[in-house]
Amino acid sequence: MWKRCDMSEDIVINVEKVCKRFRLRLASRTLKAAVLEAVLHRAPAGPREYQALDNVSFNVRKGETLGIIGANGAGKSTLLALVSRTMKPTSGIITTRGSISCLLELGAGFHPDLSGRENVYLYGAIMGLTRKQMSDKFDRIVDFAELRDWIDEPVKHYSSGMYVRLAFAVAVEVDPDILLIDEVLAVGDAAFQTKCGERMKEFRERGKTMLIISHDLPTVESISDRILFLEEGRVHGLGETTSMVEDYRRFMRRKEEASAKRVWGNHDIMITGVDMMNPDGSRAGVFKSGKPAVIRIKYHAKGEIRRPVFGFSISDSSGRVVYGNNTQIENFVIPSVKGDGAINMVVDPILVARGDYLLSLSVHSEDHLTNYCRMDHAFVLKVECDRNYEGSYMPVKWSLE
Amino acid sequence: MLNLLKDIAGHRDLISILVARDLKIRYKRSVLGFLWSLLNPLFFILIYTVFLKILKFYRPGDVMFLPMLVTGVITWQFLSTCVGDSLHSVVGNANLVQKTAFPRIILPLSMNLANLVNFLLSLVILLLYTIIAREFCAVPISFKSIWMVPLVFMTQFALCFGLSLFFGSLNVFFRDTEHIVAVLMMAWFFLTPVIYYHSCIPTQYQKLAFLNPMCGIVTAYRTAFLGTDIMAPRLVLMSFGIAWLVCAAGIAFFQKVQSRFVEEM
Repeated sequence: MWKRCDMSEDIVINVEKVCKRFRLRLASRTLKAAVLEAVLHRAPAGPREYQALDNVSFNVRKGETLGIIGANGAGKSTLLALVSRTMKPTSGIITTRGSISCLLELGAGFHPDLSGRENVYLYGAIMGLTRKQMSDKFDRIVDFAELRDWIDEPVKHYSSGMYVRLAFAVAVEVDPDILLIDEVLAVGDAAFQTKCGERMKEFRERGKTMLIISHDLPTVESISDRILFLEEGRVHGLGETTSMVEDYRRFMRRKEEASAKRVWGNHDIMITGVDMMNPDGSRAGVFKSGKPAVIRIKYHAKGEIRRPVFGFSISDSSGRVVYGNNTQIENFVIPSVKGDGAINMVVDPILVARGDYLLSLSVHSEDHLTNYCRMDHAFVLKVECDRNYEGSYMPVKWSLE
Repeated sequence: MLNLLKDIAGHRDLISILVARDLKIRYKRSVLGFLWSLLNPLFFILIYTVFLKILKFYRPGDVMFLPMLVTGVITWQFLSTCVGDSLHSVVGNANLVQKTAFPRIILPLSMNLANLVNFLLSLVILLLYTIIAREFCAVPISFKSIWMVPLVFMTQFALCFGLSLFFGSLNVFFRDTEHIVAVLMMAWFFLTPVIYYHSCIPTQYQKLAFLNPMCGIVTAYRTAFLGTDIMAPRLVLMSFGIAWLVCAAGIAFFQKVQSRFVEEM
C-alpha cells in the first residue's frame, strides 16, 4: 500500500485504462430524429461509434518528456485533449498533478477579433493567472514571439507563423507544471523552431513535464525521454526513444507497402509466396547489385492449367517500372501447372542502383485474355550496390577521341 | 454547487476579460461605440411615443399607457437579447472550448453579465424617462416602490441566466434550437403583458398567466418604476419562484451536458 503512495509521489500524469468513444453524428441528425429516438427508444441508424482510444494506460513522471507518435487517426490528439481536460474519457481515469498549459493544433484558443495583447491576457486568465501576474510576464512573451509591432493588432491579421509564435510564447510563459504540445512547431520558420527547441530544453531542465505530439521524428527522438507509440487507439509500444522511432518507421513502411499492394485475377492460379534467395539457396535479405538474384515464385493451381505465362516487374519506390519481363518474351514455355509448385527466376546479374524496389508478379494465359493472378507492388526487393550509378545499369564504355 | 461557485470565483479575471471582450466586440468599428447602449433605448422610447400617439393606439386619457409600455419593452429586451445571444455563447467560442479547460459555465455567465451592463444603462434611461414624464407631463408616477428594483432585477437575471444555459448548450447539440427559440420568443412576447396591462388578462386565466415568470417580473418592474399598485403580490411571488427554479434547473442541466461539448462541436 505505501509503496503505491511512494510511487505516486513523482508521477504527475497517470492514465489508467482509458477509452474514448466518439458518437458519430449522422449529417442529417436533427432534433426531430433525437426526439423520435428518445420517445420510441429507437436505435439510430448507421455507424454510430468510433473508438478513438482503447484501453490506454501509462504514466509520466515529474520532469519527464514523453513523445507521442503514431499515424494519422491513431488517437494522439484525442489523448492530449483528454489529458488537458477539454474532453472526458468514456471510461478509465486520468489523474494529473499541477497546472496544464496546452498548445493544441494552431493557437491556444485565441479570439480572432481581439488583439494579441488581449489574447495574451485572456489565455492567462484561463490558466488562472491574475492580471498582475500576466503583466509581469507580458514583455517576455512579446519579446519571445517577436511581435512588438503587432501586439495591438487583432490576431486575425497575423500570419500563421506569428500566430504560432504567440501561442507558443504564451503557453510556455504562463509557466505551467505540464506542457502539452500538439504538432505546432512545424509551422514556424527554422530560426523560431530553434528558439522553441531551446525554450523547451530550458523548460525541461527546470523539472517541468512535457507531452509532445509530432510527426517530425528526429525532433521527438531528440527531445523526449520516452516515446509512446499509438496505433489505432491502442498503445503499440512505450519505451526508449530510438527503438520506438525505429518501430514506428518500420510500421509505416509496412503500411505503405500494404496500401500499394493490389491483388486481383480469377485465382485459377494463385501466387502463394515468394522466396528471395542467393544462388546457393540461402535466404537473401538484400541482393547485391552485380551478383545473381534468385526469386522463387510459389503457386497453387486449381486443376490443370495449360501454358501459363509468369511475369514480373520491378519498380522503384515511386512506382516507376525499372524493369519488366515474362516467360513468353523469354521463350520459356511452361507446358502445364497443377496443384502446388514453384518456378524459379534467376536474374543474373541484377543490375540496379541501391535502394528498396517493389516487385510485382503476374500469371496469365498465353493469349493474355485471362488473368489468373496479379500482385502489384507486393514484395520488397532490397538491393545494395558498391557503385553510385543511378537507375538500372547498362554497360558503358568511355573513350577519348 | 459550492464547488461550482468556488470554480467560478477562481476565474474572476477570466470573467471580467470575457465580459470586456463581449462588450468590445459588440461595438467594434462603430463610431459611437458604447454610447449605443444609451442611444438604443432612447430611440426606442422616442419611436414608440411618437408613433403610438399618432396612431391613437390607446385611449387619449390613459396617460399611464406609454410609461407602462416603455417599462415593459425595455425590460423585455433584456430577456430577449440574453436568450438571443445565449445561442452562440458556447458555439461561438468553439476555439476556446476545444483548446482550453475552464468551467464552461463562465461562457454564458459572462455573456449575460455583458448584457447586464447594457441593461443597467437602459434602466438609467428608463428612470430618466419616468422622471421627465412625472415632472413635465404630469403623469401620476410615484417612486415609492423603487426599492424593489434590485430584487426584480436579480430575479430577471436569474431567469435569463437559466434560460441561456439551456439554449446555449442545446444549440451545441441541435442547431434547430435557434429556429425554435425564435418562434418561442415571439409567442412568449405576446403571452407576457409587455404591450398591454396585465389587467387585460381575463380573470380566470390570471393564475395561469403568472406561471410565466416574465409576467410577474414585468408587473413588478412597473410597480417599482411607476408606483402602480401590485395587484396580486402572491402571484408575483410565484412568478419569481419559477424564475429562480429555471435558473437552478439551467445550471443543473448545463453542468450535466457540458462535458460533451467538445466532441459535439
